[in-house]
Amino acid sequence: MTGIERRLRSLGAELAYPETPALGLDLRRSRSRLLAVALALAAVLAAGVLALSPGARSAFLELFQLRGATVVRVDKLPPAVRIGRLDLIGARVSRAEAERRAGFALLDLGEPDSIHLRGEVVTLVYGTVERPRLLLSESRVTIWDQFVKKAAGSETTVERVRVGGADGLFLSGAGHYVMFREPNGEIAVERAFLAGTTLLWNHGELLLRLEADVGRAEAIQLGESVR
Amino acid sequence: MVSRPPREDELVERARRGDGAAFASLVRDHEELAFRTAYLIARNAADAEDAAQTGLTKAFYALRRFRRGEPFRPWLLAIVANEARNRRRGAGRREALALRAAHELPSEGAAPSPEGRLLGREQRAELLAALERLPEDDREVLSCRYLLDLAEAETAQVLGLRRGTVKSRTSRALDRLRAELGEETR
Repeated sequence: MTGIERRLRSLGAELAYPETPALGLDLRRSRSRLLAVALALAAVLAAGVLALSPGARSAFLELFQLRGATVVRVDKLPPAVRIGRLDLIGARVSRAEAERRAGFALLDLGEPDSIHLRGEVVTLVYGTVERPRLLLSESRVTIWDQFVKKAAGSETTVERVRVGGADGLFLSGAGHYVMFREPNGEIAVERAFLAGTTLLWNHGELLLRLEADVGRAEAIQLGESVR
Repeated sequence: MVSRPPREDELVERARRGDGAAFASLVRDHEELAFRTAYLIARNAADAEDAAQTGLTKAFYALRRFRRGEPFRPWLLAIVANEARNRRRGAGRREALALRAAHELPSEGAAPSPEGRLLGREQRAELLAALERLPEDDREVLSCRYLLDLAEAETAQVLGLRRGTVKSRTSRALDRLRAELGEETR
């Protein structure tokens, strides 16, 4: 080993790293987390909103699954990456191109202002990309084995709902973000498109995601209007 | 009779079957290194925490793809490093590396004189500043190899490079670092 290599190695021991935080799967915290699960379970069941998954692994408070989607609720959500909305939803394409490349006929809530494609996920934008009134994203459930949406514990509410007879999840409150599995198998972490509410539901062989600043009843009504 | 702690491959098998406690045991020894790896790449404490936590979560879900018999640590670090790179691209605030305060450093045998300590500290600060001026690729490979003390093969896995590339990039980066310091290159 040369002198500079030795000096670099020595430097490594002298760096002022930030203190290592308690990370997700630390057993030292599992007891308090399980207690948090139990408390959350009691509170939420009392409210009659949803059924939790008390058998969830120690890192997670709750786990919700749809076909093609998993929502993981954790007790602490660190800051997520913020990237431009256009990067999130992909390039603008024609309806014909979107359908050809995605491999299914698009559903909609009326003619959108623009249609975007990223990988095999199509997003219909109502309003402008910069200030959308509503976003409707569509993908086949078979594209990925897991499409993960991670939600903060105390700030985001996740409710099991039914949308036109199909299973769905309604996320509201602050601070949730989406992790997509890209076509190459990598998962990209991102912010949700809108800070407001998100409805995820299965529609036949599709996974649909509606994001708009509306309440639960209105979101479900919109979801059931998708044709 | 004292029972032996479970081996890494046993913990991996249990974790593959969905045992979160086994996974927690498996990653506990690597958490600090995972966080530091993320920090050296993302250069932001919040991003590093996010990258490390998300990386652990993804690793748990991805265990089916972990090849039995392979070392677990570089596989885990590679996932975390990838997360950290994604966050770095998010153009968040980049924190400068800094030296620990003198009183926080472990003592090394006979205490040097105050002048000796000061000189040593100045040299280390100079080395750190030179390292910071290197291109990102160079800085990453030197960080893995020397600051984190990873083996060449581990560095290759963590950075997603061939081992030969790590070797050549390390050599080139060391030359550049020497040049930054005004020292003769080999």
